[in-house]
Amino acid sequence: MVIFAGASPATYNARKDMEEIVSRKIAKTLSILVVLAMLAVSLAACGTAEPEVVVETVVETVIETVEVEKEVEKTVVETVEVEKEVEKVVTATPAPTNKIATFAWTQEPDSMNWVYSNMWFSSILQQIFHCWAWEFDSDNAAFPRLLTEIPSMANGGVSEDGTVVTMNLRDDIVWSDGTPITADDFVFTYEMIMDPNNTVVSQYPYDALSGVEATDERTVVMTFAEPFAAWEAWFWRGVMPKHILEPVYEAEGSIDEAEWNLAPTVGCGPYDFVEWESGSYMRFVKNPNYWLGQPNIDEIYLQFVPDDASQTAALIAGDADLGTFPPISDVPILEAGGVEVMVQSSGYAEGWFFNFRDMASPGAQDVVVRQAIAMALDREAINSDLLLGLTHAPETLWDPLAGGMYVSPDIVPWSYDPEGAKALLEDNGYVDSDNDGIREDKDGNPLTLTHGTTIREIRQDNQAVTQQMLREIGIDMQIQSWDADLFFGSWADGSPAALGDVDIMEWSDSTAFPDPDHYYWLCSELPSDEYPWGANYFGCDEYLDGLFQEQLGMLDPDARTEVIREITKHMHENVYWLGIWDDPDMWIVGPRLTNVSFSGVTPFYTIMEWDIVE
Amino acid sequence: MSRYVIRRLLQAIPLLFIISLVLFVLMRASGDPVATMGGRRVMRPEDRQRLARQLGLDKPIYTQYLYWLIGNDWATIDTDGDGEPDMPGDRRGVLRGELGKSLVSRGKEAWDIIWERLPNTLLLMIPAEIVIILFSLIVGIFSALRQYTLADNVITAISFIGYSMPIFFVALISMYLFSVKFKEWGLPFLPTVGMFDPKLGKTPSQVALHMVLPIFSMASISIAGYSRYVRSQMLETISQDYIRTARAKGLSERAVISGHALKNASLPLVTIIGLDIPLLLGGAIVTETIFAWPGMGRLFVDHVSRGDTPVVMGILMIIALAVVIFQLLTDILYAWLDPRIRYE
Amino acid sequence: MEIAESNSITNMQFEPETKPLTFRELSWRRFRRHKMAMAGAVMLALLVVYCFGGTLFLTEEYANFTDTKIILQPPSAEHPFGTDTVGRDILARTIYGGQISLLIGISAAMVGVLIGVLIGALAGYYGGLVDGILMRFTEAMFTIPQLFLLLVMAKYFAGKIPNVQVMGRSFSGSVILIVVIIGLTSWMYLARIVRADFLSLKEREFIVAANTIGTRNRAIIIRHILPNTMAPIIVAATLGVANAILSEAYISFLGLGVQAPTATWGNMLQVASSGFHKIQNAPWFWFFPGMFIVLTVLSINFLGDGLRDALDPTTVT
Repeated sequence: MVIFAGASPATYNARKDMEEIVSRKIAKTLSILVVLAMLAVSLAACGTAEPEVVVETVVETVIETVEVEKEVEKTVVETVEVEKEVEKVVTATPAPTNKIATFAWTQEPDSMNWVYSNMWFSSILQQIFHCWAWEFDSDNAAFPRLLTEIPSMANGGVSEDGTVVTMNLRDDIVWSDGTPITADDFVFTYEMIMDPNNTVVSQYPYDALSGVEATDERTVVMTFAEPFAAWEAWFWRGVMPKHILEPVYEAEGSIDEAEWNLAPTVGCGPYDFVEWESGSYMRFVKNPNYWLGQPNIDEIYLQFVPDDASQTAALIAGDADLGTFPPISDVPILEAGGVEVMVQSSGYAEGWFFNFRDMASPGAQDVVVRQAIAMALDREAINSDLLLGLTHAPETLWDPLAGGMYVSPDIVPWSYDPEGAKALLEDNGYVDSDNDGIREDKDGNPLTLTHGTTIREIRQDNQAVTQQMLREIGIDMQIQSWDADLFFGSWADGSPAALGDVDIMEWSDSTAFPDPDHYYWLCSELPSDEYPWGANYFGCDEYLDGLFQEQLGMLDPDARTEVIREITKHMHENVYWLGIWDDPDMWIVGPRLTNVSFSGVTPFYTIMEWDIVE
Repeated sequence: MSRYVIRRLLQAIPLLFIISLVLFVLMRASGDPVATMGGRRVMRPEDRQRLARQLGLDKPIYTQYLYWLIGNDWATIDTDGDGEPDMPGDRRGVLRGELGKSLVSRGKEAWDIIWERLPNTLLLMIPAEIVIILFSLIVGIFSALRQYTLADNVITAISFIGYSMPIFFVALISMYLFSVKFKEWGLPFLPTVGMFDPKLGKTPSQVALHMVLPIFSMASISIAGYSRYVRSQMLETISQDYIRTARAKGLSERAVISGHALKNASLPLVTIIGLDIPLLLGGAIVTETIFAWPGMGRLFVDHVSRGDTPVVMGILMIIALAVVIFQLLTDILYAWLDPRIRYE
Repeated sequence: MEIAESNSITNMQFEPETKPLTFRELSWRRFRRHKMAMAGAVMLALLVVYCFGGTLFLTEEYANFTDTKIILQPPSAEHPFGTDTVGRDILARTIYGGQISLLIGISAAMVGVLIGVLIGALAGYYGGLVDGILMRFTEAMFTIPQLFLLLVMAKYFAGKIPNVQVMGRSFSGSVILIVVIIGLTSWMYLARIVRADFLSLKEREFIVAANTIGTRNRAIIIRHILPNTMAPIIVAATLGVANAILSEAYISFLGLGVQAPTATWGNMLQVASSGFHKIQNAPWFWFFPGMFIVLTVLSINFLGDGLRDALDPTTVT
């Protein structure tokens, strides 16, 4: 810091000159700053001129389409004139205003190509602008979309030994640019997924195939190495356009960076993808070439909101018509604001996975302790108080599938019985010998278990509540939480769950919904230094392992169901998994939308029938 | 002078290397980007293994750093998982201008992702900085000239409260008051979140309207702090002998203040604000998160929590570079403005 | 008359002089005159009494007691600050959360001051290569904005520190983590100041003298130079506490701060800001922790301002 010293007139004059210099320089600097600022603002504003242009083009297109449908033979001269004429001619036809639905998304998709994204917020959009071979209705039963029928043993689509599945494609299916969808597109999709140069998120279940062949333009034949009972659930959740992507593959050796992944302008759904402004919105407009007809709503606007609070605000204000997963505490004010909360099971349930591997605490490895825990939790209170009664506690991971068909009827749900839990522990040698409120086992070790989960608020609330419930029966539960990518990391990354540092792990998961298959409890999946990717953070039960392996190869649905029921019974008795609340998809639907229904697997399967009423 | 500039620039190079190494190691050692790629479900072991190999995440850290720095097109990597390297890589490395591909939005270059958000951040930060400079000067000088009066004490008290508040508290209260409550009371209200209302499009007026609350939140805290600094500088300048002389010579108070005191008092402010600008590039993380402004700060938070090293490193290196350059620019500017300062 | 006057004058000359005031007493006098600083000190004392004395009235068990039947109740006689999302009493949580926030603030500031003084002293005293390396390192750390550094470090260390048991209470390991990383990212400013002071003090005659008679370097640093640089260190330490409390609030707001089950004012605010319902309809939930943070930081700022004036009267405020 500079200090001015001296006060003689000579120095004063010298100062004055210098100050003039300084003031000129400051003036110059400030003006430069202002100019820079104006430049920056105008640059940012300039770069945004384009969206406006796109809007105008679309409006024109829509009006032309309306003209064609009414078969009014008037040449389209000016947009304005056409509108006026339509109003005069109108008898029972609706006014030509664009029906625009706005969806509020709290997460922005990372990719629009489903093989590159596992984000729910991306994959559920597929029914809007893309097409699956078959989709699922609100009971999560499959119905054909691109195929003429679902292959089965009865219609000969599935071979006797279950290793060959033949699919027959419809005749009228076309991409949105008019090119027909053929069996070659299916084969191309398989090749791209299995190609080592493509960093696809998952090759499941295509790695169970030994080959895919296009026997003719309308027939696709899939061959399995071994019978694969879960094939109906996860195959052909989208088909890639060979005529668009093959050139990219041949030029670059991979489709990782294809423009189509982020701007799928060629699709095969009721809407066309138009544009995606990163961080702000995505737009879809009616697809005039859709072979099943035209949807009611003309445009879908997907707006990215940063958090739940703004989503709720948007829906109440009417700025958005659809939202997802509102925070539980916002549900009452949403309903008060005329927004409907619709719940759709998608197979997910939040539960406690117990670690019974060798490195777990002795308490966690003892089935008696686990059963006592199951009896000590007032799960009904958790669901009614923390989740406002919107959910209930499942008994098994298979509760949400097919109306509970896979759940053994012998299962008796655990009821809230803290006295019974205490008695069970007492009878088995867990006594509080030093009166500190925590029981000790026969060797004098205190009954302490660690509970771990991610940092989501509702989970932390649940941790606090359940810790207290367990303290009441003398179990000390230590609680910890981590960021998701640490918690779900692999053995190699030192994830606490993988390493077995956590006795009770809580998260929301499902089977291969809508298929009952699961791989978590396979003994071959135990992680170790040799196999750091192992997914079995829980333990090896030989009997259970055998059952899981058996059911995957059983193509007779009744026999398979029996095996799965046995799995659910065994897991329930041994409390390998304790359900806390089920985790359905939650949709909040504004009053403008009608005809809305959802599916757990393909939520927007009826998007064509949705409509807007003002 | 030019020797000084060159020397500073040369000194900055090892600095940037150290920073990049430390940050890279921290980032890569914390969390597994593949872990969250499963979406709602946990990743399958086979896919985890394949992706770790394809994305080069199974290599030791120093190898990963090397590839990040100078690419891997001079080395062969194993693409088909048989354990044998077969093809040369396709990355050119940071030193050759390629920040790498994002691990989260695969297929997109990290630079493209950052570039999409950078103008939005600048759009918020530069007007905020101008508001801060203007109001700090005005409030600070006003307060200094009225030292110990009621106005001064009130302003001082408010300033203290202002920079004692966490920014999200200010943001929340202002959002609560000016958006929610004003709307309830029927007064003209400000929009809550986002950069513009999608129905109305990204017009300048929309963006300007949405900029008000974020800029207000950020500026109020900085103004509270800087106005105190201006005030103390001003007081110190006013107590100087030459000001006394000027007054004794009969100059009007206004001439004294605007002609002499002001310039000298505001000089050190230039230094401080010059150093502040690169921090603004960080995008005021918290402000952007609360107001859903699609800028670099929010990008950083989103991608740090998902372990996206290329994007995060890109942002950090850009900020580091900006800080180094702006520090140098500020020093040069200060020397230019104050001819008594000489660097050798 | 003259004789009387000369008598009194003569008498006066033989009265012993009053002892001159020491530096400490002078500083204390100046401090007392600074009304805002005194107010700040008083407020701070009250807050400390609230946080630590409050434990005599409300046990920690009560603060952690969840009752899902009384979720998010507005303030009432039984719960003067209302209840939170799992039915815990917010008043009790501000008491226990305040303890943690204050402890984090003080510990983190101490860590920062220790590191800053160490590096600044070594760099300033030894000069040359040591100075060059340490200053480059300081610049490197300075270049990254603190919040970014905090986020990256919080991520790196997350989950690696287990829960600790101190005095019968269980703390989340993230408390120690936060203290360490805030300390590790806030020493740079002090290091520069201390270095500058050391550089100038090193040349003073009394230091040259000490050197000449062979005093060891460590003794010179600790016993001679350091006491003369106490003023900026004390001020920096005080303001460092405020900065640490704010930093903790910031990281907790972004979700990477102190994890449950330990409550702090910062992470109570984070939970509060994550739902529109809570912002609008349950303002007691975010208002009270926020108010405590503001009051604490405010009083520390007043205090620091007063200290700066008292210890270094050449600065003008």
